[in-house]
Amino acid sequence: MEPILSVQNLNKYYGDQVGCKNMNMTLYPGEVVGVVGESGSGKTTFINSISGNLNPDRGKILINKDNEIINFLEISESLKRLLIRTELAFVHQNPRDGLRLDVSAGGNISERLMSIGQRNYGNIRQTIFKWLDKVEIDKSRVDDFPRTFSGGMLQRLQIAKNLVTSPKIIFMDEPTGGLDVSVQAKILDLLRKLVRELHLSVVIVSHDLAVIRLLADKIIVMKNGEAVESGLCDQVLDDPQHSYTQLLVSSVLQV
Amino acid sequence: MIELNNITKKFTLHNQGRTNISVFKNLNLKINPGEIVALTGPSGVGKSSILKMIYGNYVFQSGEIKINNYKIDYKYPRNIIELRKNTIGYVSQFLRVIPRVPTIEIVMEPLLEINFDQEEVRERAEKILLDLNIDKNLWNLSPLTFSGGEQQRVNVARGLIRNYPCLLLDEPTASLDNVNKDIVLNLINEKKDKGSSIIGIFHDESSRKYLNAREIDITKISHAN
Repeated sequence: MEPILSVQNLNKYYGDQVGCKNMNMTLYPGEVVGVVGESGSGKTTFINSISGNLNPDRGKILINKDNEIINFLEISESLKRLLIRTELAFVHQNPRDGLRLDVSAGGNISERLMSIGQRNYGNIRQTIFKWLDKVEIDKSRVDDFPRTFSGGMLQRLQIAKNLVTSPKIIFMDEPTGGLDVSVQAKILDLLRKLVRELHLSVVIVSHDLAVIRLLADKIIVMKNGEAVESGLCDQVLDDPQHSYTQLLVSSVLQV
Repeated sequence: MIELNNITKKFTLHNQGRTNISVFKNLNLKINPGEIVALTGPSGVGKSSILKMIYGNYVFQSGEIKINNYKIDYKYPRNIIELRKNTIGYVSQFLRVIPRVPTIEIVMEPLLEINFDQEEVRERAEKILLDLNIDKNLWNLSPLTFSGGEQQRVNVARGLIRNYPCLLLDEPTASLDNVNKDIVLNLINEKKDKGSSIIGIFHDESSRKYLNAREIDITKISHAN
């Protein structure tokens, strides 16, 4: 099996400040990679740099699209936009950043569909209902505005909106960050099911090691913009080799 | 077949004065298909550590571990992920699951991961839950509120629903009453008869005898320190 996404020696600076540097990552189809580290460690810079939200200064991002390797940083702007709409998806920590609050729930889901050229109202409506069902939002809410939704529902709507065009690679920045724990559990369960059923490949940023342990196959531990340790998620959390990872793991409160 | 050749394992605690804890030196062990090996020795001697090294959770400093002739190397996580998917099953001591997910789904998951038909998987999950005396009324509830013994049986159901060529068992009967303990031991024996290489930790001698396990006292095969 070939990796679907491969990041090589990626660097992003803000002036003289390091955002992230010398970052490497391989993501295989159906795999979840977790990125952890304290705030300011460069997690969000990294995920933004590999998803088209930020322009990295150096490095390579290779995306495997139907066995064709695309050099993401060297393609035209229009092709990049098309990829971002079709092959990639980004789930924000705050669903309000990823949704249009003045457009109905159904309208939010249909946006990506229409952007790739779907026009048949009946088909679009059917797809919307299918996705509302998948993320467990009642069909009767299809014409309601997102601002009438709870935080957990908004997050599920954002997930539906992003996955409707069957993207292969999903980027998530703290997707359960602002949610209370009971809602967080529901979202985690939903994400795991979707990863399994749709064979999604996911890069997820979180400061919560328990979330990463439940979702991720592999892990990257960041500190001061660099990866200090990476590998199999269980291994890095159970037998961390780097002093910073040991500190991070031993700092988690036991419930 | 599981093979451990000349394994050295130590922990270095960087934030606690760089303390080095040596766990194994020159550890050798082999588990054949259709065989059950039971690890014995006082607590803290490294019984669970052996299981965790085989499962890829623990790094070892030298030597090699081979699963059906396939080398475990923590530097290649992709290979370990594939091995876990197809070859190694692990019943841990404690259940670790997403809160609010129903028991039946937790038990079904290992088979769904390898693209089995949903209905067939459900039937197999229901059967093993029935075998393990988990009340039907509990199947749609999260196991996190269950008793210790019930949680352990859910964990066993999840670990034994598939027929893995290699099986790692960490005290799978520790908190079970005698009736349920025998049920679990019989399930383990069935896996052995199907040709699994099984290595486990069983705290009571009667279980080890019942499984006809080859007992290995770790203090006698590894010379740490």
